[in-house]
Amino acid sequence: MTPPEAIMLGCVSLCIAAPLVAAAAVRLLGERISPRLPAATAIGVSLAAACGLAAVWHSTAGRPFLFGPRLAGGGLVHVDGLTALLLPYVAIVDLAIVLVAPRRALATAGVSRLLIGAAITMATMTTAHPAALVVLWGVSILSTWLAVRSTLGGRPAARLYGLAMTAALACMALGTALMLADPPWIGGCGSVGATGGWLVAIAVMIRKGIVPFHSWYPALFSGASLATALVVTMPQVATYTAVRLLVGHADGVATELIVVSQAALVTAAYGAALAVVQRSARGLVGTLAMSQSAMVLAGLSGTLPMELCGALAVWVSSGLALTGIGLVVWALESRAGRIPIDFLQGRFADAPALAAFFLLFGLASLGFPGTLSFVADDLIISGSLDEQLHAGILVIVATMFAGIAVIRGWFHVFGGPGTPDAPQHVILPRERVALSILLAILIGLGLYPGPFVASLERVAASLLAVREHHLPSPSPEGVPP
Amino acid sequence: MTEATIAVLHDVVATLVTWQLAAPAATLAAIGLPALLGRPLAERTTTRLVGAGFTAGFLAALLTLAALAARGFSAEVVHLGTLFSVGHHAATIELVADGLSVPYVCFSTGLCWLVNAFAGKYLHREPGFTRFFILLTLFGTGMNLMVLAGSIDVLFAGWEFLGISSTLLIGFFHERRNAVGAALRAFITYRLCDMGLLIAGVVVHHAVGSGDFERLFRGTWPDAVCLVDPTTALIVALLLVFAALGKSAQVPFSGWLPQAMEGPTPSSAIFYGALSIHAGAYVLLRCEAVLDAAPVAGWLLVAIGIGTALHAAVVGSVQTDLKSMLAYASMTQAGIILAEIGLGLRIVPLVHVVSHAILRSLQILRSPSALHDRHELAAALGGPPGAATFSILRLLPDRFGRCLYRIALERGFEDAAVQRFVIRPVLALLEGAQAAETRLVELAGGADAEPRRTDRDGGAT
Repeated sequence: MTPPEAIMLGCVSLCIAAPLVAAAAVRLLGERISPRLPAATAIGVSLAAACGLAAVWHSTAGRPFLFGPRLAGGGLVHVDGLTALLLPYVAIVDLAIVLVAPRRALATAGVSRLLIGAAITMATMTTAHPAALVVLWGVSILSTWLAVRSTLGGRPAARLYGLAMTAALACMALGTALMLADPPWIGGCGSVGATGGWLVAIAVMIRKGIVPFHSWYPALFSGASLATALVVTMPQVATYTAVRLLVGHADGVATELIVVSQAALVTAAYGAALAVVQRSARGLVGTLAMSQSAMVLAGLSGTLPMELCGALAVWVSSGLALTGIGLVVWALESRAGRIPIDFLQGRFADAPALAAFFLLFGLASLGFPGTLSFVADDLIISGSLDEQLHAGILVIVATMFAGIAVIRGWFHVFGGPGTPDAPQHVILPRERVALSILLAILIGLGLYPGPFVASLERVAASLLAVREHHLPSPSPEGVPP
Repeated sequence: MTEATIAVLHDVVATLVTWQLAAPAATLAAIGLPALLGRPLAERTTTRLVGAGFTAGFLAALLTLAALAARGFSAEVVHLGTLFSVGHHAATIELVADGLSVPYVCFSTGLCWLVNAFAGKYLHREPGFTRFFILLTLFGTGMNLMVLAGSIDVLFAGWEFLGISSTLLIGFFHERRNAVGAALRAFITYRLCDMGLLIAGVVVHHAVGSGDFERLFRGTWPDAVCLVDPTTALIVALLLVFAALGKSAQVPFSGWLPQAMEGPTPSSAIFYGALSIHAGAYVLLRCEAVLDAAPVAGWLLVAIGIGTALHAAVVGSVQTDLKSMLAYASMTQAGIILAEIGLGLRIVPLVHVVSHAILRSLQILRSPSALHDRHELAAALGGPPGAATFSILRLLPDRFGRCLYRIALERGFEDAAVQRFVIRPVLALLEGAQAAETRLVELAGGADAEPRRTDRDGGAT
């Protein structure tokens, strides 16, 4: 193992271990200290380690680093451009959630679950081993289901989530087993391998909330705590899995990929259209998240570097922006209860700073110039139109509806006559810091996107190279060249 | 002129053009960041900073004009760099200083400066004082970006700035339901028509490999020649016309304009009397070579422009409040300007835009004082001034006039038609889909055994 590889392995271990250690510490210490401090410290350490890993990966000519047992081309520890991009992103999202979370949401059990969830997500993002992915899917689904179930009023959402995820996990496990038994990426595979490919595609569609398996997605935002919903949906574990198991073996599962990408395109437009008629702020965030994450999957199924770059940029930009909107909604809810948006709420006078952040994150999610989403939309629209006309048109329609939904949501939450004796909802310093960090990243990368897009191009090139070189070897122990 | 002098002049123009953009953008950052951090600047500091920003932009534009005059108004393309590139796709920041863009920046920055001076007093102690000036500088930055754009990507960025600042200023008095409704209506129209510009940009990228105008047409404005094939030119021209219809409030997208007067008077003056309403016309003038290569789009523009002008003239003549009358008057002139562009005229619509913008913004700025002005005039004349109203309806036979009067009262049934045939069906479809989703979730999730929490949600997991 070379020194850079050793550093990357250390960073991966630190990313996963820090939240787990903090979760154990919080459990042990109980009420003696505020759980926010160890949680924020642990996620901060994970963020630093993730940034270190990204820096080392980019300095090593972008070669994938695999460690531990390997199966179907995927290592137990598998670090490539996608990992280098997603680990810091996941850590930033988790850190913002920990900083903004209201005090009572950070009860010992809640923060432990959040930290364990973060560790599971980071572990998922650092592996490409099919069996490990299946196990991690199972653990994260169970953890999320328990969290949703324990939320007051969250039983229906938990039931729906449980039903959907049980089906997804079953499809994932069976499909992976069938794909390994009869690899579809090897010429002349039989119906067993093809069935496996279809089952994995269905599993991804269910877990991603792709039409027609999408109903659990907005329901999770309505029924679970916003922390749970954001932690589960923003990293887009299913998209990551699709990249590892489907996109990486595109030659063998071409039809499955086409079906997934077309369904994802429809979901992007449908989710954005549904966001226009939502009656609650949570519903708005849920449907927008469903739409934007579907756009990522559609873009990643493409074959052009520009489309892939666009999808990766949308992954990060929409994730950060929607996390920002979700956190603003959470901050408002923690002060004044649930926020319906079927009529004007008049919250501007009570919470002007939160109104400003909501608007800025909203603009940052809908392709406004000067933000990362402008770059992302430009790339994904141009790439989609390059590949298929209807794909580009659907992406543009989705963007139009999303824009209308965001501005409608802003006006309905903050516009209208306020209550004269309503208390002032002053933004807390930790909330301002967390939201400002997210915003600074979105605007900074929007104003100076060159290096970031160049790094995305390398990631896209590595993904396309895997596809072109047909990486998995005939033997289950295959190692990418 | 020697080559060395030409090179020096090019550098000077490049610096000055950058200043025209940087001045309002820096002002935006200077007043926006403290407000975001919870420490907005004092009113006087805000207006002085904004005034200084627009003054700097205006002076830079004047100097650019002088430098261009020294070179006979030949176009100077300023390449500020590449924002990002992937493969063959590159988003370049290209600006152009020529006989169209630089005078237009002088005019628009000057108007912004005047409105800043007016609004500093008009909005004194208004709760949204800082917000107004943030949006005004955002608009000024977007306007300069759009006017100086040397590529369709930069033009689109400026166009988006205009749209969002316009929307937020219409909804400036957010506590009023009408203002919120009007802002949403305007934004939906913008967003729909923005698709035209977005798709046009992608088509241009496909056709010439970049969004730069240099590759789309060649030559000095207004005698540029289109470089793409007629079919591409027709597609791009139609998409640009579609985009322009929304911003310039042309039929059938004109319903938002009278409602947009819900915003503060200074913003109404600069947006719907002067600059925003003519943004569509400017884009079409900038891309005139494409329109020339697509006569069908030109004739379509003439038809829509004349139709809108007639519609607005008739409807405007029965309006009972001053701001609505002015809104329809703006719409009439915008329609005529677009028709002029469609007819292939270039200098006439440009002069028309400038003169109309100056007159209309003056009228809108004075509109809150209209009664006061009338009383002063009456005092000066020694009696009430004579009714000098002219209505197109009076020229028509009585029966036809009455019929037209009813139609005008209903604003040509345009809003009703859009509501009935577009908004309601789309909303019904989406509401139906949402209801089906809700039923499905209830069916699969079952009833909630616990009482639904409606109080504060700490989000305990």
